[in-house]
Amino acid sequence: MASLVPCPNCGRRPKEEFTIKGAALSRPAAGADAADWFDYVYLRDNPRGAYEEYWHHTSGCRRWLVVSRDTQTHEVAACRDAADGSRLEERA
Amino acid sequence: MSEFRPTHRPALGTKQTVSSAALRLSPLPEGTIIHVLAQPGEQDVVSFLGRFTKSPAHAVRPVSPGQWFIVHDEPMPHQEMKSLFATLEPRATGVDQSHGRVRIRIEGKMASRALSKGTAIDLDPSVFPIGQSAVTLIGHIAAHITRVGSEAFEIIVLRGFAESLWDDLARMSLEFS
Repeated sequence: MASLVPCPNCGRRPKEEFTIKGAALSRPAAGADAADWFDYVYLRDNPRGAYEEYWHHTSGCRRWLVVSRDTQTHEVAACRDAADGSRLEERA
Repeated sequence: MSEFRPTHRPALGTKQTVSSAALRLSPLPEGTIIHVLAQPGEQDVVSFLGRFTKSPAHAVRPVSPGQWFIVHDEPMPHQEMKSLFATLEPRATGVDQSHGRVRIRIEGKMASRALSKGTAIDLDPSVFPIGQSAVTLIGHIAAHITRVGSEAFEIIVLRGFAESLWDDLARMSLEFS
């Protein structure tokens, strides 16, 4: 796992300061089908390679971040504040 | 009525100042700490806050994007705080944290060495100059660190963790005393 996370607000920080929520998926519309919600809430891919996750900088700026990391090489490609930029692309 | 009467006493009131030639650890007076949270999208809140904080007694410490602490050694009278909160609205909201957080001062030429045992942030003056603040872990306790002098730091910590953090800092300072 990535041990140093480049927080856009605080700089490089150790992973102990963060809480990981899980995959950064786009949320279904409020009135979406139950199957879509079931998929969103319970079904997770476990990719080997590039992965986008929500991390909370609990012991730092207390902002939600989206960390793009590689589950195989542990490299962190990017880290942005979850409030910045557009919503994630719809995942197929 | 309960027999138990809560009395207000300083969180670190029973602690002895740790003092040596290289390092000094002391609790700061429990005066005023106001947590300011800006509305999303507000710009120039720092200069806006600067107007209400009579320098240099009141200091504004950045916490995270859109959040600051206003700190002061003296307690702020209730009316004064109410009017401050009123003037902050609607751009920002103030929350009185005077009894919720405790300030600790660590100073001396070994202060940054001692602190570095507990935190991952780089405390070198070139990247952490006077006035710079950071929220980070000291051991397992989240704390807010500010460099207030060339060899002095102020630590703001939640009251419930203050004693524990103090004991940790005292232990981290042992080799320099």
